[in-house]
Amino acid sequence: MKNKMLFIILLSLISLVTFAQEDTTAVAETKDKPVRSPFESGYLIDAQTTVIPNPNTLEMVIQHKFGTIENGHSDLWGIYAPANIRIGLNYVPVKNFQIGAGITKTKMATDVNAKWTILEQTRENTIPVAVALYGVMAIDGRNISAFETGQIREAYSGPVGSFKFPDRLSYFSQLIVGRKFTDWFSLQAGVSFTHYNAVGVLYDHDKVGVHGNGRIKVSPQGSIIFTYDAPLKIKDISEQLEWTNHPEPSLSFGYEISTSTHAFQIYAGNAGSFLPQENMMWNQKSISKDNFAIGFTITRLWGF
Amino acid sequence: MKKGLSNLFSVLGMFAMTIALFAFVVPQDQKVGAAWNVPANYKSMKSIKATPETEKVGKLLYAKHCKSCHGGVGEGDGPKAASMKTKMQSFKGAKFQAQSDGVIYYQSFVGRDEMPNFEKKILDEEDRWAIVHYMRTLK
Repeated sequence: MKNKMLFIILLSLISLVTFAQEDTTAVAETKDKPVRSPFESGYLIDAQTTVIPNPNTLEMVIQHKFGTIENGHSDLWGIYAPANIRIGLNYVPVKNFQIGAGITKTKMATDVNAKWTILEQTRENTIPVAVALYGVMAIDGRNISAFETGQIREAYSGPVGSFKFPDRLSYFSQLIVGRKFTDWFSLQAGVSFTHYNAVGVLYDHDKVGVHGNGRIKVSPQGSIIFTYDAPLKIKDISEQLEWTNHPEPSLSFGYEISTSTHAFQIYAGNAGSFLPQENMMWNQKSISKDNFAIGFTITRLWGF
Repeated sequence: MKKGLSNLFSVLGMFAMTIALFAFVVPQDQKVGAAWNVPANYKSMKSIKATPETEKVGKLLYAKHCKSCHGGVGEGDGPKAASMKTKMQSFKGAKFQAQSDGVIYYQSFVGRDEMPNFEKKILDEEDRWAIVHYMRTLK
């Protein structure tokens, strides 16, 4: 069943790409230009947008999440609590294609990623939506003891002798469809597939998720931003009899300020990580006030 | 011996503090930039027709790319202006507005010295002219 699902996803992506190439030709003929800035950055809190900077641009991203606000003023609403950080670099070698890499504090994860904006929404609606594909591969860099002891919730539970490098790997692939409805309102929807090579016996290797996010521009440089991600309960790809450890959906909302080369986003949300596969597979914090943590995402662009 | 060491640390501390404070020194005397040497092909450039739409787009793009240095209404008083070595001219001034569209285009997107090149940041010609049109409305 799992192979069948993978085949269907792959087939959909291939047909989408073929469709995209046909449409791109049509756009060239009519000279209908892409809409201006459906989003101000490639990042929307933790999520990706269909936006990719101009070719030969290097982007640095710093993502930071404090602890949850549940302890109130005793730890200054999580600001004094242990934090999670990701630092990443992205580069755009050709128009609408971006490659990147990053390191995350939690799980000492190293990730490589790629994004391809197959279609750009155009001003005259020749193409009514933007379509992008995004993929991430992450390497869990913790010492092997983290997997042996079982002290970590999602620890690998197999015998130590059989632990190999591929057991550290996880994957996330996503199809994003977005539309800039007006100059002040843009919305995106997405579907994703997450796979972990190694999980504990009580967890699934695969998750399919849906995503929705957007921005409401309130000034030339300021926008209210939000994201929602939900792992789906699909019995056919689950290895469990009951949904005891099914991850929780995540919700974040915040404010973005952007300039020519920067985007600064401050937000609150219940997702603990920055890597999408982590949030889709392991987020056990439900959407409730106490589980929210303050975070920020900063991007800086350099053109070459 | 202990006193000697303490004095040494005090001197080193003072020295480090002086260096640190100098790092925050802002140039007080801004120089007026020399006259622009604009190539002839830019001087004779013809802009696209201004419409309410281009003005709206120009205003948005100005806020994103120009406002932090040139200020909200082009007076050259944006948050970054104080750290510049060169004094920015006001877009409201008669001298600035007397220039041709092509000269403003060159100054804005090709740039020189502290005025960065924006050709790789704003790829669309239409967008560049929209900013020029918006700057015209600031007079």
